Amino acid sequence: MNAVLARLRRDRISLLTGPSGCGKSTLLYLAAGIYPHHGGRVLGGKVEIEGVNPASLPPRERAALVGMLFQNPDLQFCMDTVENELLFCLGNARVPRDEMPSTLGRALSACGIEHLRSRLLRTLSGGEKQMVALACVLVHEPAWLLLDEPFANVDDATAAGLVRLIERIHRTGTGIVVVDHRVDQWDGIASDFWRFDSGNALVPVTPGEMDPVGGARENRWREFFQRTRIGSRRVDERRTRLSLQDVSVQWDGRGVLDHVSYDFNAGGVYALTGRSGSGKSTLFDALLGAVPHSGDVLLDGLSLGRRARLSAGSVGFVAQNPQDQFVADTVAGEIRTSLVGAAGSRDGIDSTVVEQVLRPIGLWGHREFSPYMLSQGQQRRLGVAALMTYDCKVLVCDEPTYGQDEAHAMAIMEALLAIARARGVTLLFSTHDEVMANQIADVVLRLEGGRLHEVNQSVV
Amino acid sequence: MRSINPSCKLVGLIIVTIALAAARDPLVNAIVFVACLLLLAIARVPFRHVAMRMAPLVLVACGLFMTGYRFGREDVGAIGDPALMNGLILSSRVLAFAGIGFLFALTTDKLDLVHSLQQQFRLPPGYAYALVAAWNLLPDLEREYQRTRFAFEARGLNPRPLSPSLLKPMLVKTVLWSQALAMAMESRGFDGSAPRTEWRVLRIGVQDVVFLAMCVLGWAAVLIPV
Repeated sequence: MNAVLARLRRDRISLLTGPSGCGKSTLLYLAAGIYPHHGGRVLGGKVEIEGVNPASLPPRERAALVGMLFQNPDLQFCMDTVENELLFCLGNARVPRDEMPSTLGRALSACGIEHLRSRLLRTLSGGEKQMVALACVLVHEPAWLLLDEPFANVDDATAAGLVRLIERIHRTGTGIVVVDHRVDQWDGIASDFWRFDSGNALVPVTPGEMDPVGGARENRWREFFQRTRIGSRRVDERRTRLSLQDVSVQWDGRGVLDHVSYDFNAGGVYALTGRSGSGKSTLFDALLGAVPHSGDVLLDGLSLGRRARLSAGSVGFVAQNPQDQFVADTVAGEIRTSLVGAAGSRDGIDSTVVEQVLRPIGLWGHREFSPYMLSQGQQRRLGVAALMTYDCKVLVCDEPTYGQDEAHAMAIMEALLAIARARGVTLLFSTHDEVMANQIADVVLRLEGGRLHEVNQSVV
Repeated sequence: MRSINPSCKLVGLIIVTIALAAARDPLVNAIVFVACLLLLAIARVPFRHVAMRMAPLVLVACGLFMTGYRFGREDVGAIGDPALMNGLILSSRVLAFAGIGFLFALTTDKLDLVHSLQQQFRLPPGYAYALVAAWNLLPDLEREYQRTRFAFEARGLNPRPLSPSLLKPMLVKTVLWSQALAMAMESRGFDGSAPRTEWRVLRIGVQDVVFLAMCVLGWAAVLIPV
């Protein structure tokens, strides 16, 4: 990052956008005083909040100046229950013991989560975890609140509730800075808009210059869909490729999937939607045989055991977190593993073949890197490429556009659609982005109350 | 047992353990083992929990008995059959140690233990909360292991359970996790070396002193006659 110059006002809700990997999060981490303590080096310039450099303050004073809500709701808590986590934060803030119960109660009610008080953090949904994280931050009554893509993994309805809550907090005099790709969530609420331009400078923009929202956004995806229609499609309406028959899954005695039956056609593109915690990931797990389930999963009419589903390469899976699927020490090693797995032998798998895969996705220069050292966007591209080399019949993707800006989201979907069409692969992906799903999927499915509904079938 | 201060419990049981390590009397070991079971019952730990955890150790005890019985040194026991004595000493020792271990683990709240170590032994909060955080990550670790194995299978690889190729991605991820967690904790005002207030206050009471005294007496009773 270099040459960022901006002055943000405390009486505004400022929204920052920019392409993935441009340094938006880095800027927030600097403002929260987390960097350079936890990584990187400041070569020049300064960050000041209310006239002080946050990195120069001890953690307790820093937390009272600036609070931060992180992108990943899973890695924010060190205790077991909501109540214990809040008591931990109160202890950090040196709240006297006899005042703890009342302060704790206020923080819970401010976020509307009194009912979660004694719940185990592990059992909460992504949206609920973010609410708790917010309560933890509010305990310190920070002058500024920074949000790093807080809704990347939260459904629209829950996100809207969180946005209203943040607006309420803002009215009490807290300055708000949000980094978010989902501009539409902040439509009518954010008052200042900033964007990282190509030179990595932060420039003020008008709402009209932001990524489009509402109907305009819909048009963009429609245009994308027209533009990327590659050749004639090989959808065979009569040919069922993958069939779920009466699939049920129980989780801690609670039914997550309730007798789900559905036929996926060869070459079809299916979007799976539903609220956070509605069981989308569980449906994928059942489909891949990763959780015990009743009922049957048929591929081309044959019931498959767990091993057969996966090892034959017949069902490919792109995990939500690309880090969950890396198996090799280097980027080149990832592709080599896939190529050897697909070909069944090491013959003819040399660096030229690997180069052919890595060069188009811009990772050839990173071939000796560990996959874990790549940026989020690069990791996702590598994850998709590693699976593309298999000759699978069904490709399952868990939230492929999660945390990506529009340009990168389109690039990822374009690659997936191209594969689906060129090879007649059935593509099934989950998403919270209903606008995108409506525009590009043949069928939009919705999981609700453990059952699968067809929401909309576009005319193909 | 549940109401005894965790730090006192820890110290007391360590004293008993040291005494047992020096004792060569299967009867003493057996008494300690039975006492632990009784105390577990009094603390209302469900028998099923104890039995499930104890089962593998009973197997180990049997194995050690056979080893000690068949391959022991000839000059061990003074009375009776030396080989039999040797086997009994080894196997009863396993049971006694296991009993003490379970007595502590099944009657102590981990959060109370950490708070007590912090308040009674001045363990710095940095270590105390790192312990708690690591403990709370354990269930995630198990899930992560399944996920990693699944990823390998999906790529046509079938590594042996706990093979290094499976553990390496997990190691990388746990390092990333700990980094993310450390940042989150610090941004909520946590300072490993600064004073803080605590909701849970653990004190040492009469029953704790009595417990410690009993442990020391037990230690003396075992060691002094020898």
